[in-house]
Amino acid sequence: MSNLRKEYSDIYDKYIKKIYRFVFLKVKSQEIAQDLSSEVFVRGWQAFKEQGKKIENIQAFLYQIARNLLADHYRQTAKVRFVSADYTTVVDPSQTIEQKALIGSDLERVKAALANINETYREVIVWYYLEELKVPEIAKLTGKSEPAVRVVIHRALEALRGELGKV
Amino acid sequence: MATDQLIRQLKKLREVEPSKNWVVFSKQRIFAGEPETEKRSFTSIFPFFQYKLALAPIISVFVVIGLFGFAQQTRPGDFLFSVKKMTESVQVGLSSPTEKSATSLKLANKRLEELGRIAEANQTQNLNVAVKEFQTNVEQAAKSLAGLEADGSDSTSLKEIMAETQKLTENKERIEEVLGAKIGDTEGLSNALTQLEKQTAAYLIADLEKRTLSETDGLLLGQAKDDFNSGNYATSLEKIWLLSNK
Repeated sequence: MSNLRKEYSDIYDKYIKKIYRFVFLKVKSQEIAQDLSSEVFVRGWQAFKEQGKKIENIQAFLYQIARNLLADHYRQTAKVRFVSADYTTVVDPSQTIEQKALIGSDLERVKAALANINETYREVIVWYYLEELKVPEIAKLTGKSEPAVRVVIHRALEALRGELGKV
Repeated sequence: MATDQLIRQLKKLREVEPSKNWVVFSKQRIFAGEPETEKRSFTSIFPFFQYKLALAPIISVFVVIGLFGFAQQTRPGDFLFSVKKMTESVQVGLSSPTEKSATSLKLANKRLEELGRIAEANQTQNLNVAVKEFQTNVEQAAKSLAGLEADGSDSTSLKEIMAETQKLTENKERIEEVLGAKIGDTEGLSNALTQLEKQTAAYLIADLEKRTLSETDGLLLGQAKDDFNSGNYATSLEKIWLLSNK
């Protein structure tokens, strides 16, 4: 057990920021992002204790939990749409004033645009450009072929650019 | 917006990070209620033994040394006495023929001393075993002396054999006093002791004959030889001891 715990502790340290970001860009508040991210790792730990090494791709596993939780969350709130930039900011409130000033102004528009593209495009953009996952990894996460993922990435970027033109 | 610029702005979203306090708190929440560690293993309590594989040969050597060391304190009838006998056999086996006789006599003396300690401790259950062991060593000593050819050159071995024979006689008398009975009561042991006296006397006479002696010593040696020829080996040995102590 202590070995599993140590292993999962390392996994937590490695993926907590990615999962948090993935969730934060889909929900309307920091509190919800924290609750859901925390729940992702709690469920991940329960499964990890039972399955351990049987989990082949822990990153894909955690993202899948996050997606399921977000789906549940959307159902519960009956708001399956991405959070509007009108009532939330892209900057994590926990950051310092300097950090907020640095990234706040430029990125509001990007987040607003992300809010208006479809969910698959949004996920692919987050994974490919923010988290720098490779195409084969995204293919595993989405269940699509690698060429199909490349096409989706291209279309997602075009869709985002189109939205930015509107914002 | 150009693609490069758009990608740069997307990458800037990486700066969105959770607060450090929440990250720590969330982690604690996950493991809350979980035991800190599983049942502590033997090696976690004694990290020294984590190196058990490397230490195994060293520990084995120490155990063997300890075993042999401890075995040296045993007496006939004790559990590890066979280990002691084994080391003694090796000791005798590695000796030269002359040394072998002296060593065998030393071992016979050792058995006699052990017999004395057993008698003093009133360990009657071990007494028979001790007498038998003593007899075995006496027989071995007599046998090695019988096969020894005196050349009159090795005075050290001669003195050693004389000293050990004398000691054996003295020890035997002392222990018989403690026991209140004669040690050579049994036929086997009596014969073995007689043989030992005979072989010792024969060897010492043969050795002394090859040495240059004064007229008085020559006469004493003649008397010792007469006693020997009459079968009075103990008396013969006493005269030889007188010669050697001059």
